[in-house]
Amino acid sequence: MANVPASGEAILQVRNLVKDFGGVRAVDHCSLEVGAGAITGLIGPNGAGKTTLFNLVSGALPPTAGRIVFDGRRIDGMGLHQTFGRGLVRTFQIPREMKRMTVLENLMLPPGGQLGERLWASWFLPWQIKRQERRIETAALEVLEFVRLAHLADEYAGNLSGGQKKLLELARTLMAEPKMVLLDEPAAGVNRTLLRDLSDSILAASVERGITFIIIEHDMQFVMRMCDPVIVMANGAVIAEGTPAQVQQNPEVLEAYLGGTVQGGAVNGGAVQGGAAVGAA
Amino acid sequence: MDVIGIFNYGVGFVIMAGIYAIFALGLNIHWGFTGLFNIGIAGFFALGAYTAALLTTQPPDPAQFEDFRFGGNWSEIGYLDLGFDLWFFLGIAAAAVVCGVIALVIGYVTLRLRDDYLAIATLGIAETVRLFFLNEKWVANGSKGLYRIPEFLGHVVSPENYDYLYLAVVLAALGVVFLAAQRAVQSPWGRVLRGIREDETAAAASGKDVFRFKLQAFILGAVIMGIGGALFAHHIRFLSPLTFDPLLATFVIWAMLMVGGSGNNRGAVLGAFVVWGIWTGTQFLPGFFADPNLRFFMIGVLIVAAILLRPGGILGETRRIARGADRE
Repeated sequence: MANVPASGEAILQVRNLVKDFGGVRAVDHCSLEVGAGAITGLIGPNGAGKTTLFNLVSGALPPTAGRIVFDGRRIDGMGLHQTFGRGLVRTFQIPREMKRMTVLENLMLPPGGQLGERLWASWFLPWQIKRQERRIETAALEVLEFVRLAHLADEYAGNLSGGQKKLLELARTLMAEPKMVLLDEPAAGVNRTLLRDLSDSILAASVERGITFIIIEHDMQFVMRMCDPVIVMANGAVIAEGTPAQVQQNPEVLEAYLGGTVQGGAVNGGAVQGGAAVGAA
Repeated sequence: MDVIGIFNYGVGFVIMAGIYAIFALGLNIHWGFTGLFNIGIAGFFALGAYTAALLTTQPPDPAQFEDFRFGGNWSEIGYLDLGFDLWFFLGIAAAAVVCGVIALVIGYVTLRLRDDYLAIATLGIAETVRLFFLNEKWVANGSKGLYRIPEFLGHVVSPENYDYLYLAVVLAALGVVFLAAQRAVQSPWGRVLRGIREDETAAAASGKDVFRFKLQAFILGAVIMGIGGALFAHHIRFLSPLTFDPLLATFVIWAMLMVGGSGNNRGAVLGAFVVWGIWTGTQFLPGFFADPNLRFFMIGVLIVAAILLRPGGILGETRRIARGADRE
């Protein structure tokens, strides 16, 4: 499939990252590198620490220890809006749209450097703001066209379906003109038709805009089709890394999925079967 | 009651409702657009009113054993040097600045924490301000209160016609505050505030420095409340700590915003007039219904009714449809 080859140069480096929640170590000396321009898959059983890793990298949570280097600069200890300013944008597993704002407004929020976000400018420079607003609105409508939500521009974001909200999350990241996007389960709860739109949008963003993606996903078909390389996490650390085919045949990965905790094994056995089905197909 | 009496009553009513509308606009910035739960409006109300009063009130009469110090001296200098009631404007500006600075301090400490802490802090500051003016008699005469607060341009108009002039002043101030609030919330700045109200984490993930915007919104709302307090002081012309009990100075304003329409500036102004109309109108009801205690109850009923029947208020928040760019 249309996998974008990694350029080899690492845009994100995570070194010995640790995150403790009370007595629970969610991320345990996790280290990984992500190549610029790649669509990297991040998989692993429930509780492996994938979303926590996203939270640490994006700055939603401060790490207990370790370092994160993005685009040549250390970003551990930064907040969400600061990593955003560096070009690192994320989505949420459960979409966090602004419900009582229109789809268009949701997308007009992210662009940086808006003059109208200064209070004094809102009073004294209304015409300059209006011009800038027109530009941002045009860009937002283009992005909506791109993710095929243009017909819903003036709808309240809270009224969208679950799958449409996932597309809106992706659209929001594109409005930021990011260098790297972290997608947390973009395919969960999205029906087949929308899923095709979603994967097309991601691939197009990767190819046309050169955006690096890391995608957490339990839908193995989606991962195997979209991602190369694939990184596997278990118990807070990386246990395997490679092409989709390599990862699928890695005994440690099978062990992590099937032989983990009873709860984890039961849920994720299905996921590996999905992956096996792709391999057979 | 004769026609002129009713008319004059109406003028007095619009002055008070107009002042309350300014408070409702301030609260709308806090709660309606940003989701900041300020239940200590009375604190900013009192700070604004006392600041303006202390800067403009004539020196106390030593023969009556009045021992408050600041007001007298400052206003004496003011009236000597400036004249022409410029101190009225300085008083309003000072009220705005004092409320802004206090909001900066409270906000800086609490706005990084969970929402509830702001509520606790604002409630606490309202009581602190009230008790400060009650117990520190040297500041503003304690429970005996500040009186003879001057009227703006009081020497220009005869006393029986003064309310007309002050009506114009209040409506002008309301107009300016309304336009400033309206521009602010309709700009991208207001969009960020609404984003924060909807989902703080998502706003941060959209690159917005949530703390900074919340602090700005908290200060702007407090500044507006300070202006309202100053206008109130020059209208009532007597201030005591009892004036600023939480019911009249905080919860009536909340009722105004809820009834009028949170997140809509027109709704905030309308709510102020409607609720103040009900509040003052009930005194004309016959017998038992005019009982002042019943009014407190009625305001409670009104809020509950508004929440049940029209959760968005009379004029709720409207969907904003941008029309700037060309659409195919």
